[in-house]
Amino acid sequence: MTTVSAAVTVSASGLTLRYGATRALDDVSLRLGRGVTGLLGPNGAGKTTLLRVLATSVPAASGAFTVLGHDPASAHGRQEVRRALGYLPQTPGFHPDFTPFEFVDYVAILKELTDRAARHREVRRVLDEVGLAEVRGKRIKKLSGGMRQRVALAAALVGDPGFLVLDEPTVGLDPEQRMRFRELIAQAGEGRTVLLSTHQTEDVAMLCHRVLVMAGGRVRFDGTPAELAARAAGRVWRSTARDPGAKAGWRTGTGGYRNVGDPPEGADLLEPTLEDGYLLTLDGDRGDRGDRGDRGDHGDRAEATA
Amino acid sequence: MTPARGSRPGVRPSRALPGARVAAALVAPVWRTLPWRTLGAAAAVGLLVVGAGRAVGAGPVETLYGLRGAGLALALGVAFLLDDPARHTTAPVPVRRAVRTLLRAALVTPVAGLWWAAVLLLVPGTVRPPAGDLTLETGTALVLALAGAAVAVRYGDAPEPGRSVAAALLGTAVLAPLLLPGHWALFVPPNDPGWTAAHERWARLLTGAAALCAASLHERGPHGQSRSVTSPCGTSGPSRTS
Repeated sequence: MTTVSAAVTVSASGLTLRYGATRALDDVSLRLGRGVTGLLGPNGAGKTTLLRVLATSVPAASGAFTVLGHDPASAHGRQEVRRALGYLPQTPGFHPDFTPFEFVDYVAILKELTDRAARHREVRRVLDEVGLAEVRGKRIKKLSGGMRQRVALAAALVGDPGFLVLDEPTVGLDPEQRMRFRELIAQAGEGRTVLLSTHQTEDVAMLCHRVLVMAGGRVRFDGTPAELAARAAGRVWRSTARDPGAKAGWRTGTGGYRNVGDPPEGADLLEPTLEDGYLLTLDGDRGDRGDRGDRGDHGDRAEATA
Repeated sequence: MTPARGSRPGVRPSRALPGARVAAALVAPVWRTLPWRTLGAAAAVGLLVVGAGRAVGAGPVETLYGLRGAGLALALGVAFLLDDPARHTTAPVPVRRAVRTLLRAALVTPVAGLWWAAVLLLVPGTVRPPAGDLTLETGTALVLALAGAAVAVRYGDAPEPGRSVAAALLGTAVLAPLLLPGHWALFVPPNDPGWTAAHERWARLLTGAAALCAASLHERGPHGQSRSVTSPCGTSGPSRTS
């Protein structure tokens, strides 16, 4: 887990954005400090939209936010936010004939690093940091998916940004690549504010000091991973057959069933995981009880869980 | 406590950095990102059309339409000029999109100029229509293609909108002569009394296309959402609406 600072570096209030009739962001407010904050949510929750708004890639219809004290409401403020930003999109695209060095160098110029010698030093530094020093002269089109993701991470890291926005960086990676990526993200989170969108609750459990859960364009939970897991305390049990009363249940490798929901009397309770808490948060049946950060009308728009 | 990022010595740029230095540093990489294969294919088609006309001894009218066809072919190639597979990776950077767009246009312009000169020289002087007026027509087609691409980038989310822009441009080029009323006619032969008036309309169209292109270079502010937005490219986005 990364170093955590209480100082607010990114703050947003009332962010709203519609795509036609769909509210992609519905009055989203948040405050982030240094360290890695996880952003969980089902498909269509608004995670990517939120990241793109905070990255000044897409304008919100209403609401405001600041990044490291800069307000993107003005053109000058937007430039300052972008100078402080590293962004890894969900499906990073590349110029396939570029090498990792050339591509990251190109991004470095776009980040206004025009001193050639200093820029090349910086490009080499970030390629070393993500473990691509060996292949920095190889064309991107010849690299594996995991290596391409690392090129994208290097592009996000170049220029040493204070705010790093990572949109599902571990998707499509094999377990070894994912572990390697986790190390990189943990390293990147030291001294920086990192907002990490993911579907992998393990990523959040291993990397994040804090987690936001989004559904239906709203923030449904804002707290620590332990607090999210604690939502499922007393609500996960083992049985020999799938419990029809469970919100979710699945057969485990040992032949028994793991159930999440409202347990029957005398159930064989299990230690809850972050994923259990996440599933119950989305299900919404425990909604607003005492968890900070909930934004009301919990559950009526939460998506199906298991 | 780990020190805050964003202050690495020698890395952060000077805030007073002239845009010209950034643009100069971008010339080489932007040159490499240009769709040269597509542009080359379009240019080759144009040369083939005009060359074939010369080979078969085409008359003035056929030559005129051959030259217009060549201009359209290059314009279809220019429709791909702003295609950028790395668009989303390089979107939130301090260098404005307009700089990259203008740089792309500036790099292609001299090449297109040389190509057009070659196309005109390929036509025998006896059947060549007024070169200045034809250059205005071709220039307008190219700027329209660029404006279409700029609008697609400004209001859309696709990293490579070239195909859609080219299809729209081709459709417009086919339908315009059929649907435009006589007093708005653009495609007239040189011996037509409306030739001069038609080229005044071409000039107005060029101005409009250039203005549209310039307006599309302006990046949206924080509350500048357009009406026809689409969801982000994320897997998770809601159904797209346009």
